[in-house]
Amino acid sequence: MDKRRITRWHVFGWIFLVFLLIYAVTPLLWMLITSFKSQFAALQYPPDLYPKNPTTEQYVRLLSPQNDVGRQFLRYLLNSIMVSTVTTILGVAVAVPAAYAFSRFRFPGRKALFFSVLFRNMFPAVVFLMPLFIMMRWMGLVNTYSSLVITYLTFGLPLSIWLLKGFYDNIPVQLEQAARIDGCTRFQAFYLIVMPLSAPGIIATAIYSFITAWNEYVYALTFLNDDQKLTLPVGLQRFFTEYATNWPGLMAASFIMSVPVVAMFLILQKYFVRALTEGAVKA
Amino acid sequence: MAQVEFQEVVKRYGSFEAVKSVSFTVEDGEFVALVGPSGCGKTTTLNLIAGLLDLTGGAIRVGGRQINDLDPKDRDIAMVFQNYALYPNKTVRQNLGFPLRMRKVPKRELEEKVNDAARLLDITHLLDRRPRELSGGQQQRVALGRALVRDPQVFLMDEPLSNLDAKLRVQMRAELKRFHQDLNATVIYVTHDQLEAMTMADKMAVMSGGVLQQYDTPERVFEEPANVFVAGFVGSPAMNLLPARVVENGGAVQAAGEGWELALSPRNAASARRASGDAVILGARHSSLILHEEAAPGCIAAKIYTVEPTGDLTYAHVEVGGKTFVISLDPQRRIRADQPVWIEFDQDRLHLFDAVTEQRLPPG
Repeated sequence: MDKRRITRWHVFGWIFLVFLLIYAVTPLLWMLITSFKSQFAALQYPPDLYPKNPTTEQYVRLLSPQNDVGRQFLRYLLNSIMVSTVTTILGVAVAVPAAYAFSRFRFPGRKALFFSVLFRNMFPAVVFLMPLFIMMRWMGLVNTYSSLVITYLTFGLPLSIWLLKGFYDNIPVQLEQAARIDGCTRFQAFYLIVMPLSAPGIIATAIYSFITAWNEYVYALTFLNDDQKLTLPVGLQRFFTEYATNWPGLMAASFIMSVPVVAMFLILQKYFVRALTEGAVKA
Repeated sequence: MAQVEFQEVVKRYGSFEAVKSVSFTVEDGEFVALVGPSGCGKTTTLNLIAGLLDLTGGAIRVGGRQINDLDPKDRDIAMVFQNYALYPNKTVRQNLGFPLRMRKVPKRELEEKVNDAARLLDITHLLDRRPRELSGGQQQRVALGRALVRDPQVFLMDEPLSNLDAKLRVQMRAELKRFHQDLNATVIYVTHDQLEAMTMADKMAVMSGGVLQQYDTPERVFEEPANVFVAGFVGSPAMNLLPARVVENGGAVQAAGEGWELALSPRNAASARRASGDAVILGARHSSLILHEEAAPGCIAAKIYTVEPTGDLTYAHVEVGGKTFVISLDPQRRIRADQPVWIEFDQDRLHLFDAVTEQRLPPG
C-alpha cells in the first residue's frame, strides 16, 4: 500500500473537485430527470426532485417515425450525423497527411505555413460569420450541407493538424527507415508502421472534429434555412418554439443529442488525453 | 554476401558538402568500421548505402550492381539502428518476420527462418513479447535478428552498441564479432568509438569533415596514421603531438621547439627532409616515451603536470614545450606533480608529419 500523507491541500483539492463535479453534472442530471416527467409535472412549483410518475412518452414520440414530431426530429438527427461524419472523415483524411508532412519533410515555407494554419485561431468564429456567408452565397452553397462541412473543416483542421503533428514528431523516423529497408515503399512504411502508432492521435482528432461539428449552432443557423436540412442544435430550437414550450420534450431531445458525444468521449477518452499530452510534451 | 564499392561518392545539402568524394571498396565478407567524430559524415555515408539519402554524385555498387537509384527495399541490405527501431506495436516474432512478410516469403518458410534466427541469438523465449518489455541487450539482439533473418547481401550497423551500458557493450562487441566470423557477412559498421572500430573491424575507414582520411587495417591505421587527424583520433590515450622546426646542424638533423631540441635518428632525419618546409609535427604514442627522473643525453626536459593511476598503468601528464603529453608508466613508479623529468623518445616509433599539409612523412 502506498502510504501517502493526506495533507490539508489534498482535502481542499478533493472538496474543489467535488464542487466542480456537482457543477458539471447537475444540469445534465436535471435534464435527464425532467425528460422523464409529464409536461404538467415539469412546470410544477416547487419542482419534484425526481419524476413521481416517470414516463418515456417523450422519447417514444421523438424516436418514432409514425408522427410528425418524430419524423422531423429524426430528420434533424440524420442531418447532424451526416454533416458531422463527413466533416470528420474529410478532416482526418486531410489532417493525417498534412500533419505527417509538417512533421517529416523540410520544404520551403514550412514554418510560415504551419503558423498560418494556426493563424485562424486568433479570431473568434463569429468574426467570420458574415464574410463566410457572403462567400457561400457567391459560391451558391447557401442552404447546403457542404457550406457547413467546409466551414467546420476550416475551423477544425488547424487544431487537428497541430495535435497530430505532435504525435508524428514523437515517432522516431528510424522506424520508417527500418520499414523501408525491410521491404516497404514509403507509403507502406507510413501505412503499416506509422499509422497504427498514431492511432490514438487519429482517434482523438476524429472525436474532436465530430464533437465540434455536432454542437455547432451559429453557422448552422445562418447558412441553413430549409426546414428539411437543419442540424439538431438549430432544429431543436426551432422545433420547440413552434410547438409551444414542451420542456420534457426539449430535455429528452437534448439528452438524445448528447448521447453520441458523451458515449464517444467515455469510450475513447484515454486516447484523447494521451493525444493532448503527447503534443504538449514535445512543443 | 557481396562486395561494396564506393566511387567518388558525394553528398551535398545546399552548399554544405557532407561527404566529399569518398572512394573505397569493402571486400566480400569484410567487417569495415566507418569511424570519426560526430558530424564527420559517417552516418550520412551509411544512409547513402541504405538508400535513405540520395547521392549527389558518384556511384555505389553492391556485388557489381549499381544501386544509386534503387529504393531501399530493392537494395537487399539490412540495417541495425542505434535506437534499434523495433516496431513497438509488434511482438518480437512479428518484428523478426516483418522483412520476410514484406517479401512475400511463404508462411512455413517464414516461421522456420524466424525460429532459426531466434535460436542463433538466444531469444526464443522472448518471441511473444513486445519490444518495450525487453532490456536494452535483448532489444539489441532482436534488432540484429531482424537484420539477419533474410540473409541480405550487406549488413549496415549504425552505432548499434552506443545505447548499452559499458559492461553489456563489451559483451555484445564480442558477440557481434563472433557473429561476423560465423556468418562471414559483409558488414559496414558506423561508430564514433575508435576502440570499438579497432577491436572489431577488418578495416577502418577514418572520416573527418566529410573526407575519408585513411582506409586500412586497424594495425596499419594505428602504426602508420596517414595524417595528424588520424594520429590524434586513433588510439587511447591519443598520440602526443609536438610542433617543431627542423634544423640542420652540420650533418646532424635536429628537431627544435621552445626550449628543447632533439637529435633525429637517420631514419627520422630522412623523413624530416621530405617536409615541404622546415615545420614538422612530431608524434609519439604514450607507450613509446620513456620518463627519466634524472637528466640523460638525448632527452627533453619537462615537468609533471598531474599523475593518473588507473591500476594496470599510470598515466603521467607532462608539460613539454607548451604542450601536454600523456606517458604511460609502470604503476610501481612513484612520480609527483611538479617534479622535473626528462623524456626519451623511442626514435624507431616516432612519427613525423608535415606541419603544413598535416600528412605523414614516411620514414626513409
